[in-house]
Amino acid sequence: MNFDPSILTTHAGEIGDAFLVTVKTWLLGSALGLIVGLALALLIRSLGRWARLPLLALSELIRGTPFLVICFILYYGGPSIGIDLNAIFAGIVCIGFYSSVYFAEIFRSGFNAVPRGQLEAAECLGLGRWQLLVRIELPQMLVIILPALTNLLTVLCKETAILSIITVPELTAVLGGIGTRTFSFAETLVALCLAYLLLVELTARVGNWLERRVGGYLN
Amino acid sequence: MSQSPTTPQARFPAIRLDQVGKRFGDHQVLEGIDLEVAHSEVVCLIGPSGSGKSTLLRCMAFLEHYDQGEIYIEGALIGWEIDDQGRRRRASNRRLRQSRSNLGMVFQQFNLWPHMTALGNVSEALKRVKGLSRLDAERRGRQALERVGLLDKADAHPARLSGGQQQRVAIARALAMEPKIMLFDEPTSALDPELVGEVLAVMKRLASEGMTMVVVTHEMGFAARMADTLVFLDHGRIIARGAPAQVFGEEAPPRVRQFLQDYLERNALLIDANTEAPGAMPSSISAGDGAAAATKGMF
Ligand SMILES: Nc1ncnc2c1ncn2[C@@H]1O[C@H](COP(=O)(O)OP(=O)(O)O)[C@@H](O)[C@H]1O
Ligand SMILES: [Mg+2]
Repeated sequence: MNFDPSILTTHAGEIGDAFLVTVKTWLLGSALGLIVGLALALLIRSLGRWARLPLLALSELIRGTPFLVICFILYYGGPSIGIDLNAIFAGIVCIGFYSSVYFAEIFRSGFNAVPRGQLEAAECLGLGRWQLLVRIELPQMLVIILPALTNLLTVLCKETAILSIITVPELTAVLGGIGTRTFSFAETLVALCLAYLLLVELTARVGNWLERRVGGYLN
Repeated sequence: MSQSPTTPQARFPAIRLDQVGKRFGDHQVLEGIDLEVAHSEVVCLIGPSGSGKSTLLRCMAFLEHYDQGEIYIEGALIGWEIDDQGRRRRASNRRLRQSRSNLGMVFQQFNLWPHMTALGNVSEALKRVKGLSRLDAERRGRQALERVGLLDKADAHPARLSGGQQQRVAIARALAMEPKIMLFDEPTSALDPELVGEVLAVMKRLASEGMTMVVVTHEMGFAARMADTLVFLDHGRIIARGAPAQVFGEEAPPRVRQFLQDYLERNALLIDANTEAPGAMPSSISAGDGAAAATKGMF
């Protein structure tokens, strides 16, 4: 068996499309999870100690479920209750749903890290709840939670590979398919690893750069 | 109270507390507090740590929800609404904000927003609450910074400022909103000794300009010289009040004398340690004579 990278160039169009699908499901799914997660964290915070228990339990349940199982439930369970999603859209929803509880957890720790006194000062000056959140809490939280956010994003990037099981035409599905059809497993698997490595590395760099930028006021 | 309002047209005191009580769980932290603060009056709250000074001050801004009695700020009940049956309900956010607009609060820990510059801190509420344009807010913000002598630090973030400068920015931030009353909770307690003076100087100037002030402080020198009225709290109750000479004077209750004596001894030890002078205690302090020593020796 000889290593022949030309198999990749002959399928370049197909692989490029798959790469875009991976990036799309990853980023849109993460954005969805980020927004739902923030809403969830705010909701949990606004509830009393007992009223928040069901939500915390649900969040615990979702975090205890493998991503693959969540995909099965959403993709194959959806049609049985009348929700039929196209595969890519379903992939975005799966990533968003799954990641929302992790994002919520990160936001919750972030809220706790902003000293109460700063919020009391803002309240005394007449700033409203929303202004507190947008002007005081989020900007400071961002510095604190950025490493956790970057980390979650890289994990989610790799989790998109699971979406191949629910027929999303993303990198793992497409490169795996090419490998099986042409028996060039080595070439396609190396390409697959390199593609994920590229995305993960890029995310880490952007994260680092942001950390240095937004944290500048601390010294 | 010991003072009549200096603004004769004012129909009510700046602050009035009527039988205020507060409990944390089953710990009664404040009990039966009656207090009036006239316009332009400077009231200093003193007393041992844990006696409820911060809680009382925070109740005035409704940062703690007092559960007995009433607190009126510029004539309006703060935080609560009393319904027809006499039950208390949380006042609307709008009403609470209205009451608080009369107050400027200064905290022991400064509580500046570290991600904003000094000017950003000072002009934030002018923009978001008073609705001023960025230009107007920053112009007023600079004026406030100038009042505390920090115009040249407008663009510095809090991490770049000394503790004393941070506290002065915090004072400017409150002043910029033009409150009628300033509340201070141990404004110099978190500061290195050499930075205390600059903050006290700003407060003295405020007092001399006629600002109504309630100050929780351990700076007995400041309290004795600046206060129109001293209020001594112990275990959540006011056990002495009046002009400083009276509260620190010969007829002071034993609890107050004890407190002053402890204070003096602590400071004597400090001075002693600093000068490395032999002979530990100043001879003027002897048991039971603390209050008199305080008025003579310190002020
Ligand atoms: N949030 C709180 N929960 C429970 N107890 C509190 C709380 N805040 C203050 N206390 C208690 O109330 C008492 C008075 O506290 P505080 O007003 O801070 O005293 P001071 O400012 O005079 O030192 C203390 O015994 C303190 O432990
Ligand atoms: Mg205190």
